[in-house]
Amino acid sequence: MVMTATDLPSTEAAAAKPRRSPVGNAYAYLQALPMALIFGVFFLIPIALVVVVSFFDYQSFDILIPDFVTFNYTDVFSSEVTYRTYLQTLTFCLIVWAITLVLGFTIAHFLAFYITSLPLQIVCFLICTIPFWTSNVIRMVSWIPFLGRNGLVNQGLMGAGITDEPIEWLLYSEFAVILGYVHLYTLFMIVPIFNSMIRIDKSLIEAAKDQGATSWQILKNVVIPLSKPGIAIGSVFVLAIVMGDFITVTVLGGGQIASVAKTIQTELSYLQFPPAAANAVVLLGVSILMIFALLRIVDIRKEL
Amino acid sequence: MAKLPYRGLMIAIFIAFVLFLYTPIFTIIILSFQGPDGGLTFPMRGVSLHWFAELFGPQSIGDVWGAFYRSLSLGGLVMVFTVVLSLMAGLAYRRGFLGSTALLYVAIASLIMPSVVVSLGIGAGFELAGVQRHWSTSGLGAHLTWTLPFGLLIIFAVFNRFDPAFEEAARDQGATGWQTIRYVVLPIIAPSLIGIALFGFTLSYDELARSSQAIGAVNTLPIELQAMQTNATTPIIYALGTLTTGLSFLVIGITVGAAMLIRRQQQRQGSDAGKGV
Amino acid sequence: MSTKPTRRSVLKGAAALGTTALAAPYVHAQEMVTLRLAGTGVNAYNEIAEKAMEDLGVMVEYTTLTSDDVVRRAVTQPTSFDLLDTEYWMLKKIIPTGNILGMDTTRIKYFDQIVPIFTKGELPDGTKIADQGTAPYEVSFLEKQGGEDFATETTQFMTAIPTVYNADTLGIRPDLINRPIESWAELLNPEFAGKASILNIPSIGIMDAAMVAESMGEVTYADKGNMTREEIDKTIALMIEAKKAGQFRAFWKDFNESVNLMASGEVVIQSMWSPAVTAVKSQGIPCVYQPLKEGYRAWAAGLTLPTHVSGRTLDAAYEFIDWYLSGWVGAFLNRQGYYTAVLSTAEEYMSPAEWSYWMEGGAATEPMLSPTGDVLAQPGDTRDGGSYWERMGGVACWNAVMDEDRYMVRKWNEFIAA
Repeated sequence: MVMTATDLPSTEAAAAKPRRSPVGNAYAYLQALPMALIFGVFFLIPIALVVVVSFFDYQSFDILIPDFVTFNYTDVFSSEVTYRTYLQTLTFCLIVWAITLVLGFTIAHFLAFYITSLPLQIVCFLICTIPFWTSNVIRMVSWIPFLGRNGLVNQGLMGAGITDEPIEWLLYSEFAVILGYVHLYTLFMIVPIFNSMIRIDKSLIEAAKDQGATSWQILKNVVIPLSKPGIAIGSVFVLAIVMGDFITVTVLGGGQIASVAKTIQTELSYLQFPPAAANAVVLLGVSILMIFALLRIVDIRKEL
Repeated sequence: MAKLPYRGLMIAIFIAFVLFLYTPIFTIIILSFQGPDGGLTFPMRGVSLHWFAELFGPQSIGDVWGAFYRSLSLGGLVMVFTVVLSLMAGLAYRRGFLGSTALLYVAIASLIMPSVVVSLGIGAGFELAGVQRHWSTSGLGAHLTWTLPFGLLIIFAVFNRFDPAFEEAARDQGATGWQTIRYVVLPIIAPSLIGIALFGFTLSYDELARSSQAIGAVNTLPIELQAMQTNATTPIIYALGTLTTGLSFLVIGITVGAAMLIRRQQQRQGSDAGKGV
Repeated sequence: MSTKPTRRSVLKGAAALGTTALAAPYVHAQEMVTLRLAGTGVNAYNEIAEKAMEDLGVMVEYTTLTSDDVVRRAVTQPTSFDLLDTEYWMLKKIIPTGNILGMDTTRIKYFDQIVPIFTKGELPDGTKIADQGTAPYEVSFLEKQGGEDFATETTQFMTAIPTVYNADTLGIRPDLINRPIESWAELLNPEFAGKASILNIPSIGIMDAAMVAESMGEVTYADKGNMTREEIDKTIALMIEAKKAGQFRAFWKDFNESVNLMASGEVVIQSMWSPAVTAVKSQGIPCVYQPLKEGYRAWAAGLTLPTHVSGRTLDAAYEFIDWYLSGWVGAFLNRQGYYTAVLSTAEEYMSPAEWSYWMEGGAATEPMLSPTGDVLAQPGDTRDGGSYWERMGGVACWNAVMDEDRYMVRKWNEFIAA
């Protein structure tokens, strides 16, 4: 017999936690207040401005005409380019999500279970973080000498006699964009999954093993179910950032691949604030819906 | 615990992943030793330390070191705020409060909203309110709208299935709320908080788009580096990358070395200090 | 001068703390004025700021940004700077916001000597310069100070004082092309499939595309800088076709990207800026700023004053502008390969050999140094495109904001998504 995580005693205890109430107490409000204030001042007010502007009119030489018009939105929805761009961005999202999930889960699993010393875990995380302390502006420039026609990879491949001609699709292609995303965002998957995994009571795994469960069964019936919140949180990170990215797609796609945020960026660089605002609001709506659906499947706050 | 399966394979995957993470860094390191006539791409034109010397000399465009110190300071501030505010919010979520779902979705919205748009909103908002922008005010706020969602969600993972029995036991023994957090909760989640701190600092230190309109007159490092791209840019940016990476390894190496040394000494003296309260 | 950055940051720090009363033997010893100058890295040389401090006792604090961020700050946060270095074509959008104060030309010492490209739309010898697109003189003057409408003729109020301007064309790698290139049409020649690039700045990119389309005989334009919807459709259709056929390796947006694309051999033909070509050459890689029979696409940038500037800061700004035009800066920027606003004063600060090389199309008689002291040309080299008169006289159109720019940006996004 193989146990599933829901049968386990400790989760029942957690679910029966007495202190949590929908209204909470004064402490809870005080504790949540600073964060709420920051978001209020630095996010909600600015975004309210954005929403207001999305209903403004604009002309080539009169960039903001206070008004209440809806054509900025109808333009977004009536354009075939919008759907094509969303399809492109969603495709990236899906592929990158799948790759970072598998890779991130595997590495989080390694760090949580195979490395048992805390200092060593911290060192591993530091090693994974150091590359990000060299500014992304610099790292993005360095992809050309790495993946380009005369880059390290092509020189290596040609030197080893694997190809005669440089491989062109390594850079400025959908492949390059996906590679860039995986490179940047796998860590965003690793961290929450790792944090979920170290909460798993090691005795559960021992117990399952004692009952004759194979490693695969333990993974499937204990580790994965109990890592679900971490997986969901990592997924939120990856989906949210890829949906809103334009830097990676521009640099590694050679400017030839569209993304929703890039459309917004182009409009902004032309000081077309109202359509950019409308596009941003739509992007926010679409992404929130996706994440809302995801959080309906996995409630990340259930066992807090 | 019994031996874990595929140990070798797992180690190999991890090492491969680390190598993958460092691919741009390898290129950066190699090219930072370009000769004085070399550029930002291959071919190498000689090998020299020229660009490291240039990095420490006067630059014509941009103020790399000023921006570097600002980024470090801002990153430090953001790190502290992110850890403290996320932890507090996490505790609030454990208690539950009205509006908790709204706050969660606001945080997620902040993550999704393209940073250029948020930045423009903050910059314009400050202008409308007649407040000057500065990296330590509007800049800090802009960075927090980026790091706090990460902090909050990671704290969810940290507190996930965190057994309330620990806290209850402490309370039964007469501990106050603060004592419970300080002596029971914090020591257990300390490693995770280090992770959040690391995340907060790194996200802030490398933040570009969200700062661009909210930072005020003087730039953080990424904005300065990006602005430098509007003129002829030399391998000094690579030298900076190499130096950052080298110094980071040095600092971590020294820290790890010191920690190991201290532990060995403690073991020799049979001291039980450092084992927690 | 060996501790420049340190000194600079110390000064900055001091100013930030409000301790501006540094004891220094400056003319304006009472209190040092700081001018916050926002702009791209094109002109933001620390050498200029230091020289300004030395000569004027004015501290210039640069806010260096990408061109996108510069214009966004200009329209949404005019109080965040005291002087703005921006491109002329964007003035068409910035001026109507009312954020920019027209400069009183009677307070500008060298106003009469500014090249007439900016004041009359003609070259110094009186020949008319092309006016397709947003020619600078069309947006140089205001009806009244602080006004939101451009004047059609010279008035007392100038929107911007030109800093640098130039004539752009295609850069090529002669070593990888091995044959003469004479026309913009070559950009879409299938011979260079996968090795061509254009600017990913819609307003400039579409102008390059128009130069190509016109020279291919695909589209005829009444005014390339102000296309009709039909002209935009045709131009974008041509570009989409080329993109789908794999003509382009990448689109570039930053100066440095264009240098890297060219130097790394990713691209062999692309539209470029003059110092970018020089930067490729200085790495020992052959690169030519190829003059083409259809002419150049030109642009200009200038310093503008936001409306909030007043009192001592305003005086300092006028002083700074006079100083900017008085020759030292002009010579400095000329050596970069761009052109400066007042030629006569700049000439005084350049050696005859430099003047001959950069301005008259003569062969270098000594190594030519960049503003920062790098060797840009060896004796015997001549500047691509020749003299100032040949290059600026060959201008076919200017970077522009079109009347149909809403439509154009939408079509451009379609092009990127295609």
